[in-house]
Parts: sequence; C-alpha cells; structure tokens
Amino acid sequence: MNISSTLRTVLIIGSVLFFIFIINMVRIKKLELKYALIWILTSVSFIIMSVFPQTVYAVARLIEVEVASNALFLCIIFLLLLMVFALTVAISRQAIRTKRLVQEVALLKAELEEKIRNHETKSQSP
Amino acid sequence: MRKAHYQKKGTIKGMKALIIIPAYNEAENLPRLFEELDEVAKNADYTIDVLIINDCSKDNTLAVCREHGVKVVTLPVNLGIGGAVQTGYRYAFYHKYDIAIQIDGDGQHDPQFIPYLIERIEQGNHLCIGSRFIENEGFQSSRIRRVGIRYFSWLIWFLTGKRITDPTSGFRACGKEVIRLFAQDYPKDYPEPETVVTVLRNKLKVSEMPVIMRAREGGKSSITNLKGIYYMIKVTLAIMIASISRKAR
Repeated sequence: MNISSTLRTVLIIGSVLFFIFIINMVRIKKLELKYALIWILTSVSFIIMSVFPQTVYAVARLIEVEVASNALFLCIIFLLLLMVFALTVAISRQAIRTKRLVQEVALLKAELEEKIRNHETKSQSP
Repeated sequence: MRKAHYQKKGTIKGMKALIIIPAYNEAENLPRLFEELDEVAKNADYTIDVLIINDCSKDNTLAVCREHGVKVVTLPVNLGIGGAVQTGYRYAFYHKYDIAIQIDGDGQHDPQFIPYLIERIEQGNHLCIGSRFIENEGFQSSRIRRVGIRYFSWLIWFLTGKRITDPTSGFRACGKEVIRLFAQDYPKDYPEPETVVTVLRNKLKVSEMPVIMRAREGGKSSITNLKGIYYMIKVTLAIMIASISRKAR
C-alpha cells in the first residue's frame, strides 16, 4: 500500500490534534455535545484512516470504486452534504424561534410601557 | 357622498378594529397618514385603534408616533415586512380585535377606503383585499409590475380556482378567523400573494374591493429591479407550497 511515511505521520498528528481540539471545545462549553458528536466521530475516523490506511482500501473494494482516494472523496462529500443540510434545518428552526421571540418581546415591552404611562397619568390626577 | 354611506355602518355592537401599519423609516409619510386616519376614526361609530409596528427604523418614526399618541410596537431587531405585520396580527389576536386592517406606512393607501373594507368583513368575508385593478383607477404601478401581478393572479386562479385581481396588494382587512391564522403563521418576506392562497386553502372567504392607490410619497419600494427575478421565483414557489400546505387547525 503506497502512502509515504511522512504524509502518514502528518495525517496522524493532524487528526489527533483535531480530535483534541474538538474535545477541548466541548470541555470549555463552546460546542454543545449534541452537535459535537458528529465531529468527534469524524475525527476518530480520521485517526483510524491515518493509522490504518488499509481501511480506506478495504472500503474502496467494498463499494467497488477502483481508486481508493475517489472512494474517500465520495464518502466525505456525502457526509459534508448531510451535515450542511442538517445545519440549514437547524438555522431555519432558529430563525423561526428568534422571530417569535422578537415579536413577543416587542409586544410585552409595548404593553408594559402603556401600563406605566396609564399609571403615571392616574397618579397625577387625584 | 361616500362618507354618508359609511356613517350608518358598524352594526356589530362594541366592535373593535385595529389598523396595522408596518413602518420602516416612514417618519416623513406618517403625519399625513395619521391625519387621514383621524378623519376616518372620527366618522366611525365603532372603535378604531391605530397600531404602528416600528421595524427598527433609523429615522424618528418612533418620535412621530409618540407625538401623535398612536399605539406603537417597536421591534428590537429588524424583522422585515412579514415579521412586522405578523406582530400586528398577534397584537390583534391577544387583544381580541374583531377586525384587523393592514395598510402601508408610505401613503400609497388612502384610509378613506377603510370603512368599506370593514363593511365587507361585516358582511361575512374573512379577508377583503383592496384592489387597484377592478376599476383600474388611480396609480396602476409600472408596466412590468402589472405583468408580474397578472401572472400571480393567474397562478392563484390556476391553483385555487379563485380570481384575485390584485394579490400583491398590502391594503386589506380581515376578521377574527384570519387574524388567528396570521398570528400563528405568516411568511417572512413578500407575504401578500402567499397569504391569499393560505386563506383560500383554509376554506375561508376572500373578496376584493376596488380602491384607488396613490404613487408613493417618499421612501422606496422594498422590491427593486435587481431583486425582481428573485422575487418572482420565490413568490411562485411560496404560492405553490401554500397551495399544498397543511391546513391550520
């Protein structure tokens, strides 16, 4: 299996650093565990693929793609499309929720201001 | 002559109507609109409240409204026309208004037609749209826009079987059922044609009434030429989706 040892070392170091980075993001609460799971899985599979490049060739044979790198690209692009779509869904949901919140806050504020104004005019005229 | 006709109207006892005006930087247009609205409210024998939805205006829209003593809801974040108008419908829903009237803040819509729109709702229509294209009087919009409006009109007829001459008109009145519907769900941008379909889809009665619109006095239209293509595609899709959407409970 022809992959240079330098490239392999770089890939191993890179994927391990990526894994540590993600775990740290979860640790300092900058990334919710719910959304981090997919990234943790991705980084673990990067580590596996760089330590055991045979797995990539095995997968390529399994899905009957002649060149191993093409099999890799196919899998990654598919995964990326799924992730981007999931994000679009999440953004839509957030947008709907934010809109509702903004409307309710605005209505509450208007209500409160009116109450205060009514109270002031009432206390002014005995 | 028109005034005398509507003075005796207002048959529902203690009826409350809310005029919803979405406003984004309309400080220069609002004073004249307020005067015209005062005239309408004075001659009506039911309660007419005016509510401005100040969509994060950068000019002194808020100060103008305060000076005139109308109700104002200021959105803390700019939501665009759809989000602003829906805030008005939510207000109408929470405060149990019988009728909501939507009118643009830029002076295009003449408030003297409001009593007639209200009358149509009292007669049992759920939504009544003020249309420029029944009697073809007043400001008729540019030629290219008329073509677009005709196309939407055709598309709505094709999908729902109902002929709506001016589906893009933002001058409209609606009753309690539609207030409830819009409070729950209202599109974000370019909402007018889509909402007509949603209302029809919920088996509610939509009618049109001829109105005379004016050319806008100040400010600029939300739809510029550049956005035209995007607008056509988006609204086409929105109308199609609305016509196959789930009905509201």
